[in-house]
Amino acid sequence: MKTFEEDKELKQFLRSVKLESPADGFSARVMNRVFEEKAAFEQVKQEPVLGRGFWIILALFAALFAVMALVSGTPVAESAPSILPEINTDAVLTGYRSFFDKLGALPAGIAGIFMASSLLILLEKLLSSRSHVLS
Amino acid sequence: MENKDDNYYIEKVINGQTSYFSYIVEKYQDIVFSIALKVLRNREDAEEMAQESLVKAFKSLHTFQGKAKFSTWLYRITYNTCISETRKKKYHYTSTDDIQISEEAEDMNLDGIPEENRERYVKAALAKLPEDEYTLVLLYYFEEQSVEEISKVTGLTASNVKVKLHRARKKLYTILNDMLQEDLYTIL
Repeated sequence: MKTFEEDKELKQFLRSVKLESPADGFSARVMNRVFEEKAAFEQVKQEPVLGRGFWIILALFAALFAVMALVSGTPVAESAPSILPEINTDAVLTGYRSFFDKLGALPAGIAGIFMASSLLILLEKLLSSRSHVLS
Repeated sequence: MENKDDNYYIEKVINGQTSYFSYIVEKYQDIVFSIALKVLRNREDAEEMAQESLVKAFKSLHTFQGKAKFSTWLYRITYNTCISETRKKKYHYTSTDDIQISEEAEDMNLDGIPEENRERYVKAALAKLPEDEYTLVLLYYFEEQSVEEISKVTGLTASNVKVKLHRARKKLYTILNDMLQEDLYTIL
């Protein structure tokens, strides 16, 4: 009795028949998809890692810090009435000060954890947006 | 089509000449489609998954290290893609594994099958095999893959591949023998 390895006759017999083929234009359809994938990949490669949204948020934060620095550097009694004469901003400014005082009093370890988790969230968001384009 | 080794085209594609991937598509589309057709049993789904498999291969071409044959790597992607699809769509097929193997059938002379009927015989016989055995037959007899390579494609152990190929061969002889007997009976 022959083993399947020794059975050259069956191999020849099977190979005398052509395999099933996909419909006409299959190859062209695959290549269209391939070119689409390639174009999407190229687009992702050209996109900056940090998008416009990130820079807008960063600019807003910078502006906020600048305002905070200006406000905290100027005596409240003199500056507040000249900018907003009708409104008493003392309470707001006291609130801000107390918030930032508390923030400043946080131990460095906790601040580090906050920063690291923010960075990880940002990274995760960036990577997931890139993988959406590629998939 | 230029007659070059697969690695030549792969290198070109990796270096940015995407159109060279069409050589790979042309060369392997029939076998990729045949595997998909057997697993999914419907031409429309099979074409979709064959396309999906080739696109997946393109996307991860840079990860192909050339340690195994490219065809082995591609068939593994195809096989896994089609199997995942059957699980996702929860296909339930009735088992075709009900062929009573006849030990005597192996003695049949394949030359006794007229040439004009061979295609019909082979297609009918392959259609009756369950998808795992069909894939093994396809890879072993049509694609001349070794038992070890088939093992990498299907995830079966080499000894399991051998056992299944042994059974598939016996089944093929049984089916072919039965068909020949039926045809002879009809003529007489």
